[in-house]
Amino acid sequence: MSPIDSTIPYYPVNDFGPLMKGLVIGGVGIVHVFLAQFAIGGGMLMWYFERLGQRGQPDARSFVDGYFKVLVLVSFVVGALTGVAMWFTTIQVGARTIGLMIDEFHWLWATEWVWFAVEITAGYAFYRYGPRLAGPARLRLLALYALASWMSLLWINGILAWQLTPGRWLDGGGIWAGFFNPSFWPSLLFRTAVSTTLGALAGCIVINTMDIPRDRRAVLIRRASRFAAPIAAMPLLALWFLAVLPSDSRSWLLGGSMPMTMFVGVAAGASLLVGGYVIVGLIAQRLYINGATATLLLGLAFGATAAGEFVREGARKPYTVRGVLYSTSIRPDEVAALRAAGATARDPYPLRDRYPTEQLARGARVERALCDACHTMRGANALVELTRTWTDDQLRLNLAKLQRTKGFMPPFAGNALDVEALVQLLRWERADRPAGFAAPAASPDVLAQIARWLDEAGTAPAGEAR
Amino acid sequence: MWPFDASIESLWLALYLASFALHAVFVSYVAAGTVYALIAALRGSADPIAARARDWLPFMLGAGITAGVGPLLFVQLLYQRRFYTANLVMGPRWGAVVPALIVGFYALYLAKASDQRRRLALGVGAACFGFVAWSWTELHQVMEADGAWRAMYAAGERFHLDAAIAPRLAIWAGAMLALFATVAAWPAAAAERRRLAGLALAGLIACAATSAAVAVVRRELDPAHGWTYLLAAAAIAAALGWGWTARRPDGPGLSVATAATTAALVAGAVVREAPRLALIEHGRATAVGSGGLPVFVITLAIGAAAIAWVVRTARAAAG
Repeated sequence: MSPIDSTIPYYPVNDFGPLMKGLVIGGVGIVHVFLAQFAIGGGMLMWYFERLGQRGQPDARSFVDGYFKVLVLVSFVVGALTGVAMWFTTIQVGARTIGLMIDEFHWLWATEWVWFAVEITAGYAFYRYGPRLAGPARLRLLALYALASWMSLLWINGILAWQLTPGRWLDGGGIWAGFFNPSFWPSLLFRTAVSTTLGALAGCIVINTMDIPRDRRAVLIRRASRFAAPIAAMPLLALWFLAVLPSDSRSWLLGGSMPMTMFVGVAAGASLLVGGYVIVGLIAQRLYINGATATLLLGLAFGATAAGEFVREGARKPYTVRGVLYSTSIRPDEVAALRAAGATARDPYPLRDRYPTEQLARGARVERALCDACHTMRGANALVELTRTWTDDQLRLNLAKLQRTKGFMPPFAGNALDVEALVQLLRWERADRPAGFAAPAASPDVLAQIARWLDEAGTAPAGEAR
Repeated sequence: MWPFDASIESLWLALYLASFALHAVFVSYVAAGTVYALIAALRGSADPIAARARDWLPFMLGAGITAGVGPLLFVQLLYQRRFYTANLVMGPRWGAVVPALIVGFYALYLAKASDQRRRLALGVGAACFGFVAWSWTELHQVMEADGAWRAMYAAGERFHLDAAIAPRLAIWAGAMLALFATVAAWPAAAAERRRLAGLALAGLIACAATSAAVAVVRRELDPAHGWTYLLAAAAIAAALGWGWTARRPDGPGLSVATAATTAALVAGAVVREAPRLALIEHGRATAVGSGGLPVFVITLAIGAAAIAWVVRTARAAAG
């Protein structure tokens, strides 16, 4: 049977060596989100400064013309291309997930594309003709650029928020119930506040490069600092976001999973430092900020963005689309069939490596289908290290009752033979892949015990669907 | 009218073809313009066509990438499994198009800004865009080669050296030359238009010769329900328009060539798609039943009006 004809779409799986796939998409995604949000805030800031310039602030206009070149060269080029990279990386990491998102939201994605096209057109027109345009046309062009970039955020934000909190869409509420989902507004407002802050901090760096006296730079810095004031609302917005999260996701962020909690702490701590400096130092005490300090704060903001995106991705576990698709690219309603037929019975793709026994080869196929999306064998989030101290029976029990072992893991989507094959594969890997590995034959009693554990765990996830 | 009917897949196909044609105009300008500017730089000639191309290339690449998001979106609706599988089979070698584009983008800015590094920058840019063109052509072939996926995956083979790739690239190279000449001719002076007419004719001849050779070798010509003949007629009309332009650069020949090239582009997009129309993946209920089309239509109208206003504002500023 051709791979194209299977009922469940099977895709070939690529291995990124010691990098787990979450790190690959996270690395691209964080850079893209940071640059895209900078472009939005930068656009708004330029409109504000252009308005100041036309109302008599002498240096504001020269700031706009200088800042825009930076914006174009950095965010247009790398931002636009990392956007394309996100499509390709997402396909590499979770083709079925991006396929579902496209299927459900393609008209809204196309809508976002139109706004992106307007943003790029307005931006380039200003870049090329801005110095030759009259004041009202400059202002309108910048307003259009800022509006289009924010509208682009609005549409993509709804789609991304739907992954985490599909809300009434799960009850058949339709596309708008999915788009205006519970985390849509807190997420949109939070990202808008981040955008203005990034625009202001980058603006402070550019102001410090301007060849004007320090007191005139200070005037511009005070104006730019006001633009970062929305950061004061971020704690409230973060609490709102936490409140609308599913209870199990919230519990992991608030202590249930220490890595997640630590990333929450990093995001909150870095945001607090940036916000404290902006609110207390720049706005209340009207301090001057030099280029080095502004760069440091922008670096902190990058750290906060990175940690925040990690938290957003991690909070979805065990799903990529809550209630609909597990991180293994398996739907909840497919688990029972895979328990009966086996995890890889219909997987058309062969293995690339050779294994000394059929059972180990089966284990490798199971690992590829059920583990590889989030784990590596020996690199980041390594299966060998996570299970190194487990006994054989402990391995069997923990894998069979996977969603009970850890609440953020999906149910094991295979049968008892698959569990046993994976157990033996892990033993073989832990022993550094000996050529003459002889696994004990799986006794009927062992397989029966695994089957009982699978039945006890059931095929439902540990947490609620919403 | 074939290949369109009343289905939602037809609407996706129409939008795919329209956005693909728009994307092709921009990327053709980038690929052919970069090579043209490189040759001018190597010859050390003060060529106004090359100077204008260098000036516009970064914008054209930005526009090409932006316009490319449209077909990238709709191809995932039409051929989702094939597109994703081809991406995955080619793996990191396919993903390399993104860094290649980033390097190419900055190379174009460097070529615009620096006289000293112009040749190097344009050479790097041309290499990057050539790699991207080859990669897309290869991906197109891999999408259709589902019989080869398992073997490619098992062997870890990231390249698909299909015999059809070289002629496809040759046809594209000719088409890109003709499209570049069409866009570049409008702001050009009379003598420059003559040179561009020569380039366009060379491009059209390359397309026709390669297509004819492929048809002879394969011993088949897909009429694509008449679209192939429309394409041929439009290409001939474009060639006549360019001939007219070469004789009278300020006459109506350029308008004829532009209109005919546009028709050829649309017909060519349909002919290119014809062999794989049978592979369109029907019946994904979530996609077929998805809402939001009215919002897209309204936004498209607003966006088109906004872009038209921007262009008018920019033209007024340019004087």
